[in-house]
Amino acid sequence: MTAAPSAPAVAVTGLGVISPLGDRLDPVLEALRAGRGALSPLPGLGAAAAVPDFDASRYATIRGLRLYGRPIRMAISAVQLALTDAGLAPGAIPAEELGTVTACSLGHLETLLEYDRSVATQGPMRGNPALMPLGLPSSPGAAVALSFGAKAFSMALAGAGAGLDALGLGARMLSAGRARACLVVASFGLSPELSLAAQRAGWLAPDGRPLPFDRRRQGAALGEGAVALVLERLPDARARGNAGRALVAGMGGSFAPHPSDRAAALARACQGALSQAGPGPAVGLVSAGAAGVVELDRAEALGLLAALGAAAPGTPVTAVKACLGEPLDAGGLLQCLPALDALRSGQLPPIAGLLEPEVPGLGYLTAPARGDVPRALVTTTTLDGACAAAVLARIDER
Amino acid sequence: MRRRVAVTGRGVATAAGTELDPFWASLMAGKSHLGPLRSFACKGMEEYLTGSEVELPAEDALPADIDPNRARSRCAELALAAARRAVRDAALPADPAVRARTAALVGSTMAEERQVTDLTDRLVAQAPDAVDPSFLSRADNHRLAALLAREHGLGGPSLVSTTACSSGNAALAMAFDLVAEAQADLAVVAGADTFTRAVYTGFLRLGALSKSFCRPFDKRRDGVTFGEGAGALVLEALDHARARGAPVHAEVAGYGVSNDAYHITAPEPSGDGFARAMRQALASSGVSPGEVDYVSAHGTGTPYNDLCETKAMKAVFGAAAVGIPISSLKSMLGHTNGAASAIEAVACVLALQRQAVPPTANLTEPDPECDLDYVPGVGRPRKVETCLNLSAGFGGFNVCLVLRRAP
Repeated sequence: MTAAPSAPAVAVTGLGVISPLGDRLDPVLEALRAGRGALSPLPGLGAAAAVPDFDASRYATIRGLRLYGRPIRMAISAVQLALTDAGLAPGAIPAEELGTVTACSLGHLETLLEYDRSVATQGPMRGNPALMPLGLPSSPGAAVALSFGAKAFSMALAGAGAGLDALGLGARMLSAGRARACLVVASFGLSPELSLAAQRAGWLAPDGRPLPFDRRRQGAALGEGAVALVLERLPDARARGNAGRALVAGMGGSFAPHPSDRAAALARACQGALSQAGPGPAVGLVSAGAAGVVELDRAEALGLLAALGAAAPGTPVTAVKACLGEPLDAGGLLQCLPALDALRSGQLPPIAGLLEPEVPGLGYLTAPARGDVPRALVTTTTLDGACAAAVLARIDER
Repeated sequence: MRRRVAVTGRGVATAAGTELDPFWASLMAGKSHLGPLRSFACKGMEEYLTGSEVELPAEDALPADIDPNRARSRCAELALAAARRAVRDAALPADPAVRARTAALVGSTMAEERQVTDLTDRLVAQAPDAVDPSFLSRADNHRLAALLAREHGLGGPSLVSTTACSSGNAALAMAFDLVAEAQADLAVVAGADTFTRAVYTGFLRLGALSKSFCRPFDKRRDGVTFGEGAGALVLEALDHARARGAPVHAEVAGYGVSNDAYHITAPEPSGDGFARAMRQALASSGVSPGEVDYVSAHGTGTPYNDLCETKAMKAVFGAAAVGIPISSLKSMLGHTNGAASAIEAVACVLALQRQAVPPTANLTEPDPECDLDYVPGVGRPRKVETCLNLSAGFGGFNVCLVLRRAP
């Protein structure tokens, strides 16, 4: 990031995804470009996007893997794919030079419920002690650092908007010279308890169809998945022959103390990210976090209108949660997929199902399109008020 | 250009008090607050339930509109109580423009775990009907920062750090960068935790729970005694603080972070992770080892932690390690998990302001392998210009903060 004029730029050099649309980047991106979704009715989960036949042992041979909960196993698998994509063999980055930032705040929940239930029903001496540390909110971050022998900084963040915060934090740590590479990973796994809780909270669309930004929207549908990025300082990446996928050019975060402040807060986050990215070409794509939740989508649209100003009508906006569902913590990084794709290919994925935008004035993509995307803006807003924005930039920009 | 970062607000919610003067006096006297727990029950664990409990004034009771069941939101209640005091201490301006540039960060080990315990009990009794409409928003650990930001109308970045028992320090480290890099002008930062069933039973089964009480660095130490509590600091760009005439209590000079990548619970035996965090903290602050006057230890009272920490001190400071006072507040407050390093950061600020170092209580039979100056018994006057606040967490998360006397 460009936190200080002299700070080296930080690039995304590896990308790994475990998604309901698959684990290979090209087919996943093809599906998104076509607006093809992965939502379907699932037993005990309602309409949701699940990762089919997930088996972490296909990706990584790691001690203790079977004990880890599904979100952690997905996170580890995504990191392995990202390292492969980055061309980094095990040990290529010295342990003391490899950092991690994780956003996987519900990754421990299923294990905690299992452990706590055994204690509650059978007594304190009956719970499996090996499960307790994996039931702590820190466990996803601990498991990732341990699995990949990452001994530099390890930070762990919680919250549905934490994926983009993790990206910004990882870039900042590298920019400050605290390591040579950073694994940024976010993950979310479906569970019956979470689906039930989301349904009872009124977050989910009764008909199972999330319609981001559409006036007919009635709620979201949950989706699971994990996304991992490898970050490196651009000169380091180039020195080892990796041209990089994009630069992490700017990051902004904000909070809306009242629900009515959400749009203004998101606009502040966007302005922070754009200002940190500095002068340069216009944003060619917004990858929004809209997932069909009535009040959040409206706030996001209004926030984008305020942030983009006169450029708003001509700036294409996509929302991949129409295809992949709402993956909570993993949302921000999952939204980076179409942004990273568009920076390279110019392909702009549509918002599946969008027919009647509620808030006019934005360049909603209702069909696949193409365009020049030197910069992409990725945004998230959450029900509790947290907002985040990141600017990803094409590397030939500089 | 990075900005210098001041500490302009301090707040605690601990068994040793909720105001700074009694808190400091209690620490300096080496008074232990560990005793049988009255507020926390766990069936089958009765003989092990020792710890330190916080008595909050009535005005700090969590409002029912946040949670009608205060007990299950106790972590939030403690975080808000400490943050409230720090905000008051900083005389945080009411100007909405200032509050929009103020970040909210919380670090916690278990965070909203009591929400899960509460759900478990209801699931056992009522099956799936137990899942209520607000469970997901209550169990979202980010809620801790959201509640803090909402109470004070803060519009800057809001983050929750979950690096286990170094979470408070990690939140302070992140806030330091946000302010130094001008992404926020101020940050209200808290670390908070309370007792939970999973952690008590888990530590017992892992053999890490003391059968008596926490005795850091003592030959007879046999594990952790828990405590609940919260600590909070307001960090602020030094120029911003000076421009508004705010009291500058200390300066955050830098931090170091490392991971052991060794084991999901045990620290790396050589203390290498601790040492790397300390070295990075010193390097990032431009402080030489010879300038360090006091180290606030993680000092959990487990046989392995205290030895690791001692080895790390020797690795970083060499022969000079014996001359640097290092003490563990956990001997008096118990291990308050994610709150610990935040409370200890407040104590470091007070050490810098009051030119004295707090002690390690319950240390009466020195361990020959732990042969540094742990300030046994009671605190003592000492010139303190620079101190390190060291913390570690399950999963190998080490964070070390550097605090300096107010410029």
